[in-house]
Amino acid sequence: MSIYYYLSAFLFCLGLLGITFKKDLISMLLCLELMLGGVALLFILFSKATGFIDAQLMVIFMMIISACEVAIGLSLIIALYRKKQTIYTNDIKILTE
Amino acid sequence: MLIEIVEILLKIVIILALPLGALPIIIHVERRGAAFMQKRLGPNRVGPFGLLQPLADVAKFMFKEEVHPTHVRDFFYTAAPLVALVVALLPLACIPIAAPIDAFGKTIYPEVFRSDMGIFFAFAASALGSYGILLAGWASNNKYSMLGALRACAQMVSYELSLSTSVVAMIFLYGTNDIHLIIKAQTGYWFGFLPMWGFFLQPVAALLFLVGIFAESNRLPFDLAEGESEIVAGYHLEYSSMKFALFFMAEYIHMIALSALFIIFFFGGYSLLPGMEIIANKSPILLVALQAISFITKIALMIWFFVWVRWTLPRFRYDQLMNLGWEKLLPLGIANLIVTVLFVYFRNP
Amino acid sequence: MSVDIFLSLLTAAFALMVVFSKKTVVAAFALLMTLLTIAIIYFQVGTVFLSAVQVLVNAGAIAILFVFVMMLINLEQFPNNREKNKMKLIITSFTVLVIMGVLALVINNNIEMLSVENLTDNSMKALFDKLFTAYYLPFELATMLLLAAIVACIVITSHEKHEKHEKEELLETEKNR
Repeated sequence: MSIYYYLSAFLFCLGLLGITFKKDLISMLLCLELMLGGVALLFILFSKATGFIDAQLMVIFMMIISACEVAIGLSLIIALYRKKQTIYTNDIKILTE
Repeated sequence: MLIEIVEILLKIVIILALPLGALPIIIHVERRGAAFMQKRLGPNRVGPFGLLQPLADVAKFMFKEEVHPTHVRDFFYTAAPLVALVVALLPLACIPIAAPIDAFGKTIYPEVFRSDMGIFFAFAASALGSYGILLAGWASNNKYSMLGALRACAQMVSYELSLSTSVVAMIFLYGTNDIHLIIKAQTGYWFGFLPMWGFFLQPVAALLFLVGIFAESNRLPFDLAEGESEIVAGYHLEYSSMKFALFFMAEYIHMIALSALFIIFFFGGYSLLPGMEIIANKSPILLVALQAISFITKIALMIWFFVWVRWTLPRFRYDQLMNLGWEKLLPLGIANLIVTVLFVYFRNP
Repeated sequence: MSVDIFLSLLTAAFALMVVFSKKTVVAAFALLMTLLTIAIIYFQVGTVFLSAVQVLVNAGAIAILFVFVMMLINLEQFPNNREKNKMKLIITSFTVLVIMGVLALVINNNIEMLSVENLTDNSMKALFDKLFTAYYLPFELATMLLLAAIVACIVITSHEKHEKHEKEELLETEKNR
């Protein structure tokens, strides 16, 4: 069971790495989801170790929030794609039209 | 330990053998039923009444040359039918075909995966059903396949919502999420003749669930994923021989699993058919056999209903499908849920 | 114990595929597999309900959204030979390695405290008793958040406003003529 702590740390760091060096927005969102997965796993393990069931409720809230985040993020990506025909961060440097 | 392993293996074999063995029969019934409704004869040459036709079909699928297009993404192209079939088989693990039996000094549960949250796992596994289709559509590298896959996927995700609202309403009403307790709540009679099935308590939820099944398993009138006149054959356009057969099997098994869930919620699951109680009390083994027979009979009637609807209703247009799902069924489901919750609250405050 | 190691390695392998695969669709399917293996870990740890919810919500809905959007946006039309900043990759990997080392150190120091099992009541009833009493307000706020997200998605992606705009512009130009 203790190895899962290392796994959750690994998932979090891998997601962080992906977010920093990936260039398209969809891959970055995927890596964000990876980070959230790692943290949710950590919450479950903490709930197991400390005996409080509250940490499991945090996982439910995290799922709700990650659903909102993914939905809005992806719809923003679609809106951006319609406007500029690109999803790469390099091409989105200008703030105004 | 050994006995437990044997028990689990036996259950797995039974739960796999029943639907896979029933598949040829279902396909035969579907073809003959279609012919019956259109005043044709249908397949009647191989064997008596064409009963050996499914075997001939299987042999054809096995030995046909497989066409492997060069423009596909190989790994995912090969994986897609297998994913579809495995995911379709998964929900069956949570479905019991008889009541728990007391034997060998302990209680034996007839389902492979025993948990009081089995129902959630069944729906979770059925929610994964769209991945096989999506993989096939993407891996085929073909516009028609892609469109078919996207249609199927959007349709499954949208109708899952109304289906879930009806399930939640039923769980509220029964006050439990254990499949065996849900079925136990449905055994017995009102006024001495009307079975205490969920259908009579919640006809609206039953309607929502029924429409949801048709949309989830991509059957007519919702089979837009393979609308021949618009997108040739949809996601299995590039597949031939056994791979195509695997998709076919996945669709039918998904249909069987969802019908089983429908029957568990609305038609009393494995509870005995009316009139069977008189002979069922003689011995426990007979009781289990009769329960299994009742469950299988109910599923068979469901499948016949599928065939009936398929050759009766025309196909929906895509925008009509989405309007029906989001603007009619979902509000109806939420209203039904609210009414149910209020009813449960005021019944036992 | 060996099951733990096997599941961890499987999850880690799929997670590596998410970050390092060339094709984004492959990365999305790898993410799906990661979420499923995490669900199996939840199940093995004993939180059965959350495992089912993880499959239902994260794997069944969120990962589908990703694949769906990828298929709407044809990713293969973009040229693959974009400039690659090697220095940036090295620096970020170094930083992330350092963070990972720190986390591993923290876990290592507290491993005895963390690997005990104290939770006895894992049932759905215990979970929801807490959710609908102590966490009632956050739960309601979360539902409001979901509603806001639905409305936001519809507003952001809908065509109608732009079309109206274009029509009005067309009318104006015609009037000016």
